[in-house]
Amino acid sequence: MAFLQAVIDGLLVGGVYAVISIGLTLVYGVMGIVNFAQAEFLMIGMFVAWFAWAFLGLDPVLAAPLSFAVAFGIGWLVQGQLIARVLKAPSVAQIFLTVGLLIVIENGSLLLFGSQFRSVTTSYQTISLSLGPLFISVPYLIAFAMSLACGVVLWWFMRASWFGRAMRATAQNPMAAQLMGIDTALMYKIAFALGVGLTAFGGAVILPYVTVFPGVGGQFVVLMFTVVVLGGLGSVAGAVVGGLAVGVIQALSSLVFPIQLQNLVLFLVFILVLAVRPQGLVGASR
Amino acid sequence: MKRWIVIAVVIAAAALLPLALDARGYWIRVLTFTLLFATMAQAWNIIGGLANQTSLGHAAFFGIGAYTSTILLLKLGLSPWIGMLAGGVLGGIAALIIAIPTMRLQGHYFALATLAFGEVMRVIANVWTPLTGGPGGLSVPFMPPSFAGYSFKLLLPHAYIALVALIIVTAIFEAIRRGAMGYRLRAIKENPEAAEVIGIDTTKVKLQATVISGVLMAMLGTLYAQVAVFFDPDTVFSAAAISIRIALIAILGGVGTAVGPILGAFFIIPLEELMNDLLSSRAAGLSQLVFGVILIAVILWQPRGFITVFDSLRARLSGRAPS
Repeated sequence: MAFLQAVIDGLLVGGVYAVISIGLTLVYGVMGIVNFAQAEFLMIGMFVAWFAWAFLGLDPVLAAPLSFAVAFGIGWLVQGQLIARVLKAPSVAQIFLTVGLLIVIENGSLLLFGSQFRSVTTSYQTISLSLGPLFISVPYLIAFAMSLACGVVLWWFMRASWFGRAMRATAQNPMAAQLMGIDTALMYKIAFALGVGLTAFGGAVILPYVTVFPGVGGQFVVLMFTVVVLGGLGSVAGAVVGGLAVGVIQALSSLVFPIQLQNLVLFLVFILVLAVRPQGLVGASR
Repeated sequence: MKRWIVIAVVIAAAALLPLALDARGYWIRVLTFTLLFATMAQAWNIIGGLANQTSLGHAAFFGIGAYTSTILLLKLGLSPWIGMLAGGVLGGIAALIIAIPTMRLQGHYFALATLAFGEVMRVIANVWTPLTGGPGGLSVPFMPPSFAGYSFKLLLPHAYIALVALIIVTAIFEAIRRGAMGYRLRAIKENPEAAEVIGIDTTKVKLQATVISGVLMAMLGTLYAQVAVFFDPDTVFSAAAISIRIALIAILGGVGTAVGPILGAFFIIPLEELMNDLLSSRAAGLSQLVFGVILIAVILWQPRGFITVFDSLRARLSGRAPS
């Protein structure tokens, strides 16, 4: 029964992992950039939601669209002013530009907000639904539902809207897309802003069960990379599968190993997947 | 011939510099760490620069070296010099273990895999408390000062050892770069498929380069342990403070060149120290923030590093006054 409970917890948590990682895979899929600073936008999303809760009395889950909007705006500027300049540069320059961004965002927030831990109190925080012998944590369930909703909207956007189709065309062949009259620079801006916005959205919905501080991104960075590599870097559908898989792996390994080794299992899975199947387990095309 | 004179003058000047500083003072410490980080960046440069395999996990080897010599000293009383050799062997083995599965990976993928490897080592060092002391870290015991015991009262000898290390590792880097291996690595960097077609065993060459880089990096870990006297897993296995920083140093200076890591280290490390001095007391995070801004600015302004600035300066000077 502990096994089944772990699987349920893992799936619920994994749904959120999927949403925070989709942004990473989307940016890579559209412009071939791995954003090492992606997890910092999770932190930004969490802070926006925390301030909305502390000063406006807004529930963090309802503040998620606000987090999305703030990160979207920052992402738009970052893409236009910084990332756009290294799109054709060697991968080394791309890696270190986003690493620099990571350092700036993390220390900027340390400067602005201080190093203390902040958490919210909500009415549903400690409630669990019992389902026979199993328990479903309400904050997990709400975060999962919000992630699912967000995923559906994204799926619709990418499939049905003109922008989504133009973005996919840009990912497949930027030059051909440009010849068809698509403003590829605009598409890159939308992709990056959307990507970091989704991650910030995920940050807001986990706030009821994760405390926020300037270094919180560091706890999620390898996790996010594991999710996208498991699913295949650049594949949005893969990130969903990867997110759920990572959630379940994490929950199951906590049954067997002490908590300090939980991340070790994740890292080893990550290296193993990279070594054996770098295109990802799903291996879908971008 | 002229080149050798320049090199001899630079080395002589470098050898005199520590004497100009107060032997107990703050700046000799900064100089020692600058030389050490220049050497680490040079070791990284063998795989990161010549083969263009951007490793973000070199802290793994570094930490292995620091722990091996310190544990051997603590448990068996072995001299850190012997510990340094043992650490080098273990660092080489670790390099093989990570290199074999990741050799096919390039660019972002290789960076990610090595980043995770460094984190694996950090977690292991934190958990394996009986051997490593866990998160509490290890203190290098104080020994009577002697060269054989790698123990000194002042920092001055440490500065000279770091300088010698920098010269040796730079010489190794140059020998590889100019030798057959350097040509093979450059061929792989330019076009891996073409290199394979003309008969280069790309896997073998990359493995060799990674192992050499890993061995050197682990030996430098011992140097660090002896200077720092205390360290913990989060310091020596740190992705930000070691792996990313040394890659940055090489990139800022000019990746793939022998001078690059030295330029980069003499820019970054003193700058960081200065900013910590000036800014840390005012607000936490400010010095790192400035550091990140400089990093972004340099990458946007000179993606190939400072060396291009020097090159164009030299070209301009020699254009005006050909001698």
